[in-house]
Amino acid sequence: MHRAARTASVAIALATAFAVTACGSSAGDEVAADKKQTLTVWAMGAEGEKLAEVAEQYKKANPNITVKVTPVGWDVAHQKLVSAAAAGKLPDVAQMGGSYLGEFTELGVLEPVDTKTFDKKDFFPAGWQQGEVDGTSYGVPWYVDTRVLYYRTDLAKKAGVDKPPADWKGLRDMASALRDKGDSKWGIYLQPRGLDTVQSFYPFLYSAGGEIVDKDGKAAFDSPATVKALKEYGAYMKDGLSTKSSQPGYDPLKDFNTGDVPMFFSGPWISTLIKDQYPGLKGKWGIAPVPADKTSTSMAGGSSLVISKDSPHKAAAKEFIQYLTDAKGQADWFERTSDLPANTKAWESGELADNPDLQVFKKQMETAKTSPALAKWTEVTSKVDAAIESVTQGKASAEDAAEKAQSEIENLVK
Amino acid sequence: MSTTSGKAAVPVAGVRGGGPGTAPFPATGSKDGHDDGRRRGRGHGHERGRGRGRGHGRGMGVQNWAGWLFSTPFLVLFTVFMAFPIVATLAMSFTDFGLRNVTRPWEANFIGFENYTKLFGDEKFLKSLFNTGYFVVVGVPLTIFLGLLVAVLLNNGIDRARTFFRVGFYAPVVTSIVAVAVVWRFVLDPSDGLIAGLCAELGLTAPDFLGSETLAMPSLIAMAVWRNLGTVMVLFIAGLQAIPTEVREAAKLDGASAWQELRRITVPLLRPTLLYATVITTIGYLNVFEEPFVMTQGGPSDSTLTVSLNMYREGFNFFHMGYASAMAYVLFVVIMGITVLQLRLLKDNTK
Repeated sequence: MHRAARTASVAIALATAFAVTACGSSAGDEVAADKKQTLTVWAMGAEGEKLAEVAEQYKKANPNITVKVTPVGWDVAHQKLVSAAAAGKLPDVAQMGGSYLGEFTELGVLEPVDTKTFDKKDFFPAGWQQGEVDGTSYGVPWYVDTRVLYYRTDLAKKAGVDKPPADWKGLRDMASALRDKGDSKWGIYLQPRGLDTVQSFYPFLYSAGGEIVDKDGKAAFDSPATVKALKEYGAYMKDGLSTKSSQPGYDPLKDFNTGDVPMFFSGPWISTLIKDQYPGLKGKWGIAPVPADKTSTSMAGGSSLVISKDSPHKAAAKEFIQYLTDAKGQADWFERTSDLPANTKAWESGELADNPDLQVFKKQMETAKTSPALAKWTEVTSKVDAAIESVTQGKASAEDAAEKAQSEIENLVK
Repeated sequence: MSTTSGKAAVPVAGVRGGGPGTAPFPATGSKDGHDDGRRRGRGHGHERGRGRGRGHGRGMGVQNWAGWLFSTPFLVLFTVFMAFPIVATLAMSFTDFGLRNVTRPWEANFIGFENYTKLFGDEKFLKSLFNTGYFVVVGVPLTIFLGLLVAVLLNNGIDRARTFFRVGFYAPVVTSIVAVAVVWRFVLDPSDGLIAGLCAELGLTAPDFLGSETLAMPSLIAMAVWRNLGTVMVLFIAGLQAIPTEVREAAKLDGASAWQELRRITVPLLRPTLLYATVITTIGYLNVFEEPFVMTQGGPSDSTLTVSLNMYREGFNFFHMGYASAMAYVLFVVIMGITVLQLRLLKDNTK
């Protein structure tokens, strides 16, 4: 019996090991684009739901290709993609957030973009850079986003401010005016600490001319520009213009509606949310470019489309991505989702060309900076989060915080 | 973490059932047993003999075959989902397994005990170890004490609406942590939460529970105690009902007060339950993950970062799989040590 038990467990272990390795080698022969085939596509959140409609439409024009879209929640997307990559079971096409690309390139599971089909010049530079790792591109930009300043025009008027702030001094004065002369509890919401505080900090960092990692991939967080940005950011908490403490997942929109928080930085999706959830705010809010220091530079985000290295349907996948990212496809996608087109040609007509709010985003997007696609980027930004927190909580000076983070980041990027 | 008891119980019972030497299924014995009492007795005798592996050839063959057949599903699941990961984690903890090794595991390097030595110089890990200890030291006695209190009250005090209260106290156990988090966030919210509202009525300012480095952990402990009270309470109610009423009546006849009855009769007779409840609650709290994960993400300033949460971050956010595995094994050794210690201490007291 003892022997039997041992034999059984060894057999099962071997079978498991075999099954696991067998999963890893699923790459088959290439299928031509005009053959009958099914493309598997993973897309996240709202995109995942809307993409199925586009897939239907695509099938009408290309009856030989069935596109099977699997919507994946953003909260599980990262882990699902990593485990799929580990098992060699990535879909033919996947949507990837900008911050994922470094990791997945490191994993060696992505097919480089065919630059003959997709032209860098057609897209916002920041959108294209997201997919670039060491000069090779792995993702075609699908949609972009950038952060701008949302503010309550009615409260600003009450506080005696008639136009949005153009520079750092203007922003600080406006925040003080809103808090002191208006009915607002705070002047602005800037995330004081916690996960991804860095996203709220980028407009300050980039506008001052600072960066986390420089062009050569070296840590560059202890520059005078960074220290200046950290000081400015921390000053809002020190002077009680922005809260020192906020819960994870806090959404300023509710307090924007009540007026407690009259200003905050956020992306394009917020305009849609305000219109849907708080119709009472109509005509009482506006957006403005990031207040400038050296420049007015915001962060760029968005998603790219990638093709799996093991996919046997690369030719068809390329055609489908082309359909989604050409000017017509992008304008159609904007109609459906309000996602900002990554392809600049799509901005030349219709609402995208006429709406003044959208023009603010477009202008901001032209100069927006993207985070480098590094495998350890999440870890790097967690160090920056900690540095910002130590400043906003008054635990360290901007100089010390920047220096500490710099040495930690040096260990990560080499 | 409230399900820890379940997790622990399954493999233990399963190993016994499927292990060598015992008969997982009564085979022919039970079939005979349906007929009459006399034959059932004989059947049991046979079964015991075979169970030790000394029965006659033919019977043993059939029994083994059936036993293995029936335990195969468990054995397969156990091997794939328990044994293999446990061994793989141990192996991984001696390597520098990182992101690129997710697709190329063979490229990971063996680095001996480096991960383990690094752990004890890692400020963050030491802090998470301290936080976890804090959680256990404060949380376990509170959970056990309040659980016992509620169980005694429900068992003796309230005659009407007893079921209502039992369900009420047990409801948090079966509620999803996400729903629980929504409610507790509302309770603790410093600007328009329940406590803030009460404070405002009294003209006081409510503290920022989750935003304060000193209050965040106690707030999470309160939440965990509330959430796990029900599990412990159910165990105690079962234990209380197993105490023979004669013993209580005899004590009453001898003039024992309610307090004396609790101290001299109830608690000593509840020792086995008390031991079990303490051990599973301790193991659960040493593994605490959900409360800080949904409520504070380890913040502010890592004041609620527990070992499990730290491990999750290192492993799944940063892909330091080797390092996270080493952390898992340190936690495992700590849990093992504390459990053995508890079993020793609490058992000795019963003599």
